[in-house]
Amino acid sequence: MLETLLITWRETLEAALVVGILLTYVARSGQRRALRYVWLGSAAAVVAALICASASGGAMALLGGETQEVVQALIVFGAVGVLSWMIVWMHRSSHSIQGNLHRQADSALATGRLIGLAAIAFVAVFREGVETMLFLWGVVVQRGMQLATMPLVGAGLVGAGLAVATAWLFFRGFSFLSLRTFFRTTGVLLLLVAAGLLTSGVNKLIGLGYLPPLVPQVWNTSWLVRDGSPLGALLGALVGYRSRPSLLEVLAFAFYFPPMLWALNHAETATRAAGLGDESARPAA
Amino acid sequence: MRFQLALALLAVVGSARAEELTIALRVQAEGFQPATIAAPAGARIRLEVSNETATPIEFESFELNRERVVPAGQKATVYLSGLSAGSYEFFDDFNQKRRGVLTVE
Repeated sequence: MLETLLITWRETLEAALVVGILLTYVARSGQRRALRYVWLGSAAAVVAALICASASGGAMALLGGETQEVVQALIVFGAVGVLSWMIVWMHRSSHSIQGNLHRQADSALATGRLIGLAAIAFVAVFREGVETMLFLWGVVVQRGMQLATMPLVGAGLVGAGLAVATAWLFFRGFSFLSLRTFFRTTGVLLLLVAAGLLTSGVNKLIGLGYLPPLVPQVWNTSWLVRDGSPLGALLGALVGYRSRPSLLEVLAFAFYFPPMLWALNHAETATRAAGLGDESARPAA
Repeated sequence: MRFQLALALLAVVGSARAEELTIALRVQAEGFQPATIAAPAGARIRLEVSNETATPIEFESFELNRERVVPAGQKATVYLSGLSAGSYEFFDDFNQKRRGVLTVE
């Protein structure tokens, strides 16, 4: 029973953390309307995961296991793209919130950005959701639909609930941060999440034989943080931690940052320039 | 456009696959069959995991840095390459009593 609980905790944690970052960010930047989109994306993903898990024997089998995996990897790469774009505009708008410029304009987020928020929540929840449902479904099938099975399913659901609680506790800590530090911290966290996602997509393609690992194991930090431990799971969910990464995964992780830092820096100077332009334009008008 | 480009790129990289050693690994209710498998160091391995149970399994190994969900009654191929000598443990993440070892020498 404890095993069931731990498995669903681990599977759900990543989704809960990503959705948690989005919710706290949106709430603290005063974009209340956007909250609904994050919840909508998450709820749609739960429904989609239920459908996929129950159809995994039928319709999904037609697609073929390998095609499914490749599609999943491509979805992950797509999510990294959307997330990166969001990190850049979040960075830009956090600057204007801090400087109290464009506050009105920013409080109404463009539809594209709202859909972007919903899409990221969807992918985060869907990815882990299918696995969790498949696992719980397996528990039910294995033991049969009977009274004795219910505690196990219950333990699974409690595990998922605990993951949400873990994420909530994690973000409670954030509420003590000043707005400036908060935006900085969530920005850095989201960058790490995106790099971790990119790495996990690369890992998938290596396992499928589409990409070479280059060196199968660059280092081994399992003596420090074991993959299966709670800390390992938390780090895995946040930054894609693996104790024995291949060289290609390490490179994918490392090479994500330089272009992103450039884009963020560029966004910052552009916002400043736009801000100054506004200030000087106003008296003239 | 970018999507098609990525697919084309994947196809090119995929076609460059080297000589392969295929190992069949069956998952049954009692566990992995066989529970111990062996391969020479440095080989490119196609590990064919067939799930013969009635429920989904997740082939997982921290030591091999791989994980793959296999639905009931289906087969999945997990690629491994360039492994150095040693023993690598794997398990079914959905039922952790099922365990096995890959010995590379």
